Amino acid sequence: MNLQFLLDGLIAGSMIGLGAIGVTLTYSILRFSNFAHGDFMAWGAYAALAVVGAIGGSLPMAPLSFGWPLLLAMVVAMGLTALLALTLDWLLFARLRARGQSIIVVMASFGASMALRSLLEFMFTSRPTYFSRAIQIAQPVGFGIRVTADQVALLLLTLALVVGMHLFMQRSQRGREMRAYSQNPALARVVGIDVDKVVRATWIIGAALACASGVMVGVLVQIRPLMGLDLLLPIFAAAILGGIGSVPGAVLGGLIIGLSEAAAVQFVGAEWRAAVAFVILMAVLLVRPMGLFGVAER
Amino acid sequence: MSILQVSALVAGYEPGLSIVKGASMHAAEAEIVVILGPNGAGKSSFIKAIAGLVPISGGQVLLDGRDITMVPAHLKIRQGLAFVPQTENIFPLMTVEENLHVAGGILPRPEVAPRIAEMFDTFPDLARQRALMAGSLSGGQRQMLAVARALIVRPRVLMLDEPSAGLSPKLVEQVFAQLSAIRQAGLTIVLVEQNARAALAIGDRAYVLVEGREAHEGPAKTLWDNPLIAELYLGHRKEAS
Repeated sequence: MNLQFLLDGLIAGSMIGLGAIGVTLTYSILRFSNFAHGDFMAWGAYAALAVVGAIGGSLPMAPLSFGWPLLLAMVVAMGLTALLALTLDWLLFARLRARGQSIIVVMASFGASMALRSLLEFMFTSRPTYFSRAIQIAQPVGFGIRVTADQVALLLLTLALVVGMHLFMQRSQRGREMRAYSQNPALARVVGIDVDKVVRATWIIGAALACASGVMVGVLVQIRPLMGLDLLLPIFAAAILGGIGSVPGAVLGGLIIGLSEAAAVQFVGAEWRAAVAFVILMAVLLVRPMGLFGVAER
Repeated sequence: MSILQVSALVAGYEPGLSIVKGASMHAAEAEIVVILGPNGAGKSSFIKAIAGLVPISGGQVLLDGRDITMVPAHLKIRQGLAFVPQTENIFPLMTVEENLHVAGGILPRPEVAPRIAEMFDTFPDLARQRALMAGSLSGGQRQMLAVARALIVRPRVLMLDEPSAGLSPKLVEQVFAQLSAIRQAGLTIVLVEQNARAALAIGDRAYVLVEGREAHEGPAKTLWDNPLIAELYLGHRKEAS
């Protein structure tokens, strides 16, 4: 049996997991499903592409397909994507949240998603583009698995981001405040937590991680305005599978979805790949709606 | 001199639908003030409005002479007004220590760990459970944690909404003994209670709230002995002496 699907699933799952962190935080803290989250990934990737273009060419850091400008561009793009999310919240979501009807905010996120996607198509066309057109040769690592240097680098980056995020949520005061607010918003205010700061931190972290995920997709696959929409269902499936509000759950959910998709391609057929996330999502909602690490609604 | 002065407070969740309809009260330093009344009198809404959780549409709240009527809830604790809600007064998916940490976040950073240690000295039961999820604590321990969470920032006034709710008589005794001890340290306590007997036993003064405004005010002991008030509002019958 060819075990390549394990690595493919792990990589796809990493990108899904990073995206799912933002979705799970937005849902648990701001109390709505943000369907524009996938578009933050696409905007992040295009922002990084624009910054790389502005910095200019540089030789790749062999054996990687990209050089230091992309790493710098990713950091800048994470900031720009966070700015986009904060602006969108200020212009749209915050005003609708204040009215207290979350379904209106969800519908607004659909609208925002379409607007963001159309803007990308208008600015960059719908043709796919790439950070690098260099072809990487995958090296064998045993058990029939082959891996490229880019894949290893991006897996390590995912690991660093997830560990950093976990430490932030567990050890930092702002992380504790975010967890507290997601459990009981009224009590959080009573103990002195500034809700506005928690909301800002949620958008910044979610958007920055979405950007990182988008850049990874851009490095390993391609950049397209629709890339976020394609990942939206797997991301939501991962967030719900992991348990809404749980950062480790979102990452684990992403890995399970990624591995399941890759296994479906290997054993069933590539045409079933997209159905896997949907099947898992339905199964979780029917059997264990609170997910792996979630808790029942208060 | 009053440290907390509430005048003609009007508050409610919906515009035009006031639950608190002009209630007033005051509390002096190191005093325990009890707020009693029949169900639906607006006691909880009154105390929540003072804490900033129910929108205020009229009246004034002064803390140590400063007007805090429209100060947001998260800033009131910074000004010295702490509040312990009746239910859901801890963060159940955080450990006992994390609950104290998150509440201590408004203190200067070097003070947080020593204050947590002080809270554990004051509430040794909590110290033994420090690494446990707060949601797994018993009712009495939860109440202790909620009080410790409020005290960690050294408030001037501590307001509690029915701290005896759902507790066994023995635990009620423990919680009220703890509140008496806290008052000895100079803290002002405002207590909304259904358990009139226990609350009046430790209280200095009391108010009876009826239909959103105070109907009676007086020394706690006198209020308990007033047969009319006792029968009408406090749920017990007492023969006039």
